Parts: sequence; structure tokens; C-alpha cells
Amino acid sequence: MRKLMLALLLGLATGAAGESGAIAGDKKPLPLPTYGQAYAPTTVDERGIWMLADEDERRLQDSPSRIKDPELNAYVRNVLCRTVGEDRCKSVRIYIQQVPFFNASMSPNGTMTVWSGLLLRVRNEAELGSILGHEFGHFELRHQLRSFRNRRTGSDIMAWASVLVRNSGDIRYNAWGQIYAFDRAQERDADLIGFQYLAGSQYPSSAAADVWDHAMLESDASAVGRRGSARHKYVAGIFATHPTDLARATYLRTASIEAADVKPAIVDRHRAAMAKWLPIFLNDQIKLNDFGGSEYVIGCLAEGGWSGALLFARGELYRERGNPRDLVSAAQFYQEAIAKGDAPPEAYRGLGLSLLRSQQIAEGQAALATYLRLKPDAADAALLSTLVSR
Amino acid sequence: MGASEEKVGMIRTVHAVLGALMLSLAAMMPAAAQEKTGLKPGFVLQAGTARIVLMRPSIRVGAQSTGGMYEPNADWTDQSRDNIGSALAKAQGGLGNSVRSYVEPVGGDPMKTAEYHALFETVATSVIEYQFFKGNRLPTKKRKDQFEWGLGPDVRKLGGLENADYALFITTEDHFGSTGRKVLQVFAALARVPITAGVHKGFAGLVDLRTGELVWLNADMQMGGDVRDADGADKRVRQLLEGFPGKPLDVVPAVAVPITPAQAAVTPPAH
Amino acid sequence: MSTRHLAALGALTALLLAQPVSAGNTLVRAGQRVAVAKSAMTVMPGTEWNKLGARPGRNSETWTQDGEALNDLTFYGGIEVGRPLFREVDKKNRPLPKVSATMLVTDIPVLLENSYRVALDTSSFGIDVIEPARFAGNDGVRFTYHFSKQNETLQRRGEARGAVIGGKLYMITYEAPGLYYYDRSAAAFRSVADSVKL
Repeated sequence: MRKLMLALLLGLATGAAGESGAIAGDKKPLPLPTYGQAYAPTTVDERGIWMLADEDERRLQDSPSRIKDPELNAYVRNVLCRTVGEDRCKSVRIYIQQVPFFNASMSPNGTMTVWSGLLLRVRNEAELGSILGHEFGHFELRHQLRSFRNRRTGSDIMAWASVLVRNSGDIRYNAWGQIYAFDRAQERDADLIGFQYLAGSQYPSSAAADVWDHAMLESDASAVGRRGSARHKYVAGIFATHPTDLARATYLRTASIEAADVKPAIVDRHRAAMAKWLPIFLNDQIKLNDFGGSEYVIGCLAEGGWSGALLFARGELYRERGNPRDLVSAAQFYQEAIAKGDAPPEAYRGLGLSLLRSQQIAEGQAALATYLRLKPDAADAALLSTLVSR
Repeated sequence: MGASEEKVGMIRTVHAVLGALMLSLAAMMPAAAQEKTGLKPGFVLQAGTARIVLMRPSIRVGAQSTGGMYEPNADWTDQSRDNIGSALAKAQGGLGNSVRSYVEPVGGDPMKTAEYHALFETVATSVIEYQFFKGNRLPTKKRKDQFEWGLGPDVRKLGGLENADYALFITTEDHFGSTGRKVLQVFAALARVPITAGVHKGFAGLVDLRTGELVWLNADMQMGGDVRDADGADKRVRQLLEGFPGKPLDVVPAVAVPITPAQAAVTPPAH
Repeated sequence: MSTRHLAALGALTALLLAQPVSAGNTLVRAGQRVAVAKSAMTVMPGTEWNKLGARPGRNSETWTQDGEALNDLTFYGGIEVGRPLFREVDKKNRPLPKVSATMLVTDIPVLLENSYRVALDTSSFGIDVIEPARFAGNDGVRFTYHFSKQNETLQRRGEARGAVIGGKLYMITYEAPGLYYYDRSAAAFRSVADSVKL
């Protein structure tokens, strides 16, 4: 009797998770579902006046970290629409947040958030489109809902297991494994749907794998910068909810090689849209105290050439870490930035402070004096003056 | 989405679990018997004398990740909002005074309203930590019969609170223990160590709009009732409003006409 | 679960329950000069405060009137070269910036800002006013700032005064929600900060 119950319970568990998507290497692509409106807004009468405004969305709208700039928002929306198509993109409300990490998310009611750290890191419209398409994929496949249902089933199984079987340790392990395999499969499904969007759009599908390659390189650089070692596992641990970067890079690369679609990734328009935000996002990035990762990000941005702004950022990064050799390098970068002619006046400030800290007092004071001449109303002008008149 | 963190092998998981157990045990220290209600000394609210505005309740439901971070879950939150909303609508009529739901006035400042609610929650949390929890009291909050907390007199300047004497703030926040926490519970249960996975906060506070003082507060970090279902939400709301000042001792009469939020918004309060 | 794991768990539990409870919160009386942050820094408060038993780090201490989320007066008493302002939660993945031997007075606000950005997981941090100021008889800086933690609606304001003295960082910070609480204890903070001596 017990064995029968056990078999039934395990059958329930595996059955629930059985609808997971394409397996790695499976030639059949996940079919794009016919698009019907995924979310129907409820009326005031149904839900009461205080239910109307979704609280999380309201918090997003009013959040101090929200970037409301219409141009940047339009740029991100255009990339989404070009990736998933106009019909699909109508049901999405995009919120850009000034958070210096690589992330985006989507909720079941059509709210998509994009973090500034992601905008800083994608190199072109195609890479941005690949992430936005992935998020939209979760929405279209109504993923969060399925995940919840599966968790409920899993915990019921566990409750029963403890009643029916004396040593239920093994069943618990399996039941938990099932619940989280479901989430990983969903992430993979979203990756593959996102890939489909790209392949069907004006953007090259190779961008999807590129994103994960860069993520791994940055992660390596960050770890090395912190004197750790870089490590990438192909198989996610049993409790992880996402496939690893390496796994994603691999199956997305395989798929893009098969698709063999060669299209322009659109770099210039991306750089133009990002131009005025770069100093702000770079400032946030540098203040994270992640030297290796920040070096890598700035280096990638400089692939098109070292502008005054990028050299300035590099100077700020080295000055922030502030080891004696860093201060010498920083002074160099600031000087190169100034020589380019398009550096912000703050380059003189950074140069002055780096030189002062390297005991080059006269030169440092001269640079600060130049800065104060250029920006007499700087917020810390009074404080800097005390360093000049010493 | 986002970079993934792998836990390779059961051994590492067990180490993480043991680590989490350490933290959880430390957090467990609060004594079981804990004050949960505060009342301004001498405060009395006669039934039928006051006009109370129920501020939009703050309801958050999500999961608690292995690292203890809160991950909001939209589906759970939606369900809970429906359930708590219904439960509150039923309870509103039985509070002994005229209670109407807050309506943001046209041209009002929703961010300010949200900030006041956030301030209320911060004050309530501070009351729990530094006055209710006997092991951690602040010396200046330990004095006999003392309950001095408030949101400041400017709260009455918030639009939509004219013709009201008190504002009732309600917050619930539930973090259901996820992966690591659940594993922790499993192992801890085997070792016969009681661990609460997750957080089930509830605050209900009455603010005197003339002075901004908090005159009554029910606050607890481990409330009952699973807010994701209707019965659990009813239980939660009952606990929240237990001992509400001015509430008639008897339970709400058999045929009660609850003020639904939609009705409350349209009909002006009758008093 | 193996008996080996169970035994480990049991031992750990026993160890934990044997830990002494952390020192409680104590009263700071008005009108008496006291040493703070386990250092030579002393202040004389004009009103009562509560000193929290929990410290942000080795050479720091926090006072409050209503709880540190409502008013937080923190003293940093000589943070040494190579040390962070306060305890690191995740040294490996989120290390905090450290006091530097070549630090200038302009680096003091940067150290605070960057430490908060990392520790509080927020980029909503801005410095408003920066000006030179005397601190415990030395040339230092006074600055005001505002910030909010990620996903928090409450806007907080702060004022800090500090200086690098004898190669170590000394600083006093005062923070509270901008709504009502900042102004409520600002005068009490200023009287404490004005009285600082080393």
C-alpha cells in the first residue's frame, strides 16, 4: 500500500513538471504562441477603489530611482517593439530605474522594469532586444502563475509524504528538486522564446549569446579584481532558479549558429541614445567598489575609441581604488582626457586630487585652481579652495 | 533573469543551511510572550463620537529568498489584496465609529501619502523593536505608562483628511519562506528545533489628526492567517483590529451592512 | 539526513544557545561629557539619548531617541587605514571602501557615499551641501546628504561632520526620515556635534 502511495505521489510531482520546454539540442524550436491579450485589467467596481492602482506599479511610478526621461524611455520602447512586434509591445508598461546592476524583470500584469546597469552594459540594440524579448517571453507564457501552482503542489506532496512514509527524507529532496527544475525550465523557455523573437526581427539572434558571454567575462574580471577565481558551471545546482550563464551562452550560441541570420546589430543609434546617460551610469558603476568589473565595462565601451568622457571615468575608477600606483595611473588618464578636448571640467578636479595624494602638491594645486576657475559654483568649491591655499 | 548563483552539491547547501540556522536562532531570541498593543495613556475613544478615515492598506506578499531577500510575488499579492479588502470591508462597519475609506483628492500628492504610510510602518516597527520587545527596550521608552510616538502634526495637511478626526493605517507584509528557508525548516524540524520561516507582519494604528500622535497601535511580526486565502485573511484582519478603541464589545450584529470601498468612495460620510 | 549532519546541527545549536545575550541599550544623560565609540572622542549631549547595544563596527557607536530608523546619531572614533566605516556583511561579493592613508578631506563624503551605496544597495544617494568646517580642533568637512534604501519610499536626510586626525577618520553622522523626524532631533544633534572634543 505504501509503495503504491509513493508511486502516486512521485507521479503527481513529475506530471506537474512534465510540461517543461525544449531540451538542449532539441531541433524543434518552441512555437511562438498566437498572441492573445495576456492580461485583462479589472474594473473599479470589481476590486474596490484601493485595489485599482496596483501597489507595486504605483511604487514603481513614484520611485525616486525612476528615470522618467521621455527620450530614453522611447528608445527602450522602440527596441522592445522592434524585437517582439507592435501588437505585443502595446500591452507593456516600461519603467527604467537607476540601479547599477544588470537586470530586468516582468510582472504578470505587463510591467517591465529595466535597470540602468543593463543599459550601460548592452553594446547595441540587438543585445538590449534579446533581454527585453526574454522578459516579454515570461509574460507571454504566463510563467509566474505556473511557478506558484507548482510550488503549492510540491508542499502538499511533502505534507503527505511525512504522514505516509516513515523515512521521507528522500522524497523531500526529490519534491524540492522538481519544484525548482520547473523554474529553470521556465527560464530556459523564456531564453528560447526571446531567441525566436530576435530571429524573427531585424536584429541578429547571435546577440542573445553575446550578452551571456559578456556577463561571464565581466564576472571573471570582477572576481579577479577581488582576488577570487573565476568559475563557471554548466549544470546549475539543484536549488538554483536560473540556468547558469555558461549554459545559456552555450545553447543560445548553438541556436544562433543554426539560425545563421546575419543582420546589423545597430550600434550607433544605441550609443547616441546612451550618450547623455553614460557619465551618470558610469558614476553609479564606479561607486560600487568593483574595480575589475568596472574596468571591464569601461573597456567595452571604449571599443569604439577612448573619448574624453571614458578616459575621465577610468581616472575616477583608479582614483577611487586609490593605491599609490592607481593614483599615478589616474593622473595619466585625466591628463589624456583633457588632451582629447571633450572631457568634463571635473577632469581637472580629479587630476588635482590625484596629484595631491601622490605628494605632487604644486601640480595638484594648479589643477584644482584651474577647475575652480572653470566651475566657480561647484558644490565643493569652498572645500577645494582650502586644499589650494594650503 | 539576472546572473545566477549556484549551490553545488548537497554539502554546500548544508553549510548554507547551518549558517542560516545560526542567524535564525539568533533572531529567534525574542520571547514568546510579547506585548503587541500600545495605547497612549489616558486615551479613550467613545463609540459614535469620531470620524475615522481608513488609509489605503499596504499589502505586500512575496517569498523570502535563500539570502533572506524579499521577492515580491504579484499573484500572491493580488489574491491577498482581494481577500484582505473583503475582510476589511466587513470589519469596517463594526468599529463603533464612522469609518470611511481614504480617497486621494484630485491634484493630491500620492507620493506624500505613500511616504506617510511608509513612516507609519517605520514607527510601528520601531515600537515593536524598542518598546514592545522587552529584551531590547530603549531606556527612554521604558518609563511607566509611556507611549509617545507619532507621525508629526503635518499629517493633517495631507489632502483628503478634512472632516476627519483620526486616520487608521493598516499594513500587512508576508514573506513566505522560500528555498533555503524551507530547507532549513525541514532540517530543523528533524533536529526538533522550531524555526519560523518567513515574516508575517501586521500593523494597525490610529493617528490623532490634530496632533499627529499615534494613540493606538497593534503591531506584531508573526501574525496568524495565511492572507492568500479568504479565511486566513479574515483571521488576519480580526487580529489586526483586536482591541480597537471604541469598538463595541459585542461582535458585529447578524445583519450588518458593510461599507464597501467602492461605496465609501462615492457616498460622503454620514455623521 | 545523516546522523553526522544531525550531530553537527545539535552541537551548533548547543553552542549558540550558550552565547551571552548582547549588551542592552543604555541611557545617555544630558549635561554630562562622555567618551564615545571606544575612542578619545568625547561629546556633551544637551538632551537625553539612548545608546544602542549593537554597534555598526568596532570603533563606532549609535545613539537614538526613538529607534535608529527614526533618528540615528552615529560616532566613528578613529577608523584606521585599511578599515571600512562599518561592518561588512559580504566581504567577498560586496566589499566596502576603506579608509586610505592618502585620504584628503574631500574623500570623506565620498567614503560615506560609496559605503552607503554598497551597503544599502541604492544609487539614490546625493550630497547636497559640502563645506570646510572645524572638527574637534582640526580642519575637516561638514556635509549634508539625502538617500533612500532600494525599494523604500521613505526619503532620509543626513548631516555629517568629520576630519582625518592622526591618520584616522573621526566622524559624526545624524540621519532621520525627512518627514517630521529629521527636524525633530536636528537641534539635539547639533548640540552634540558642536561639543565634540578629542
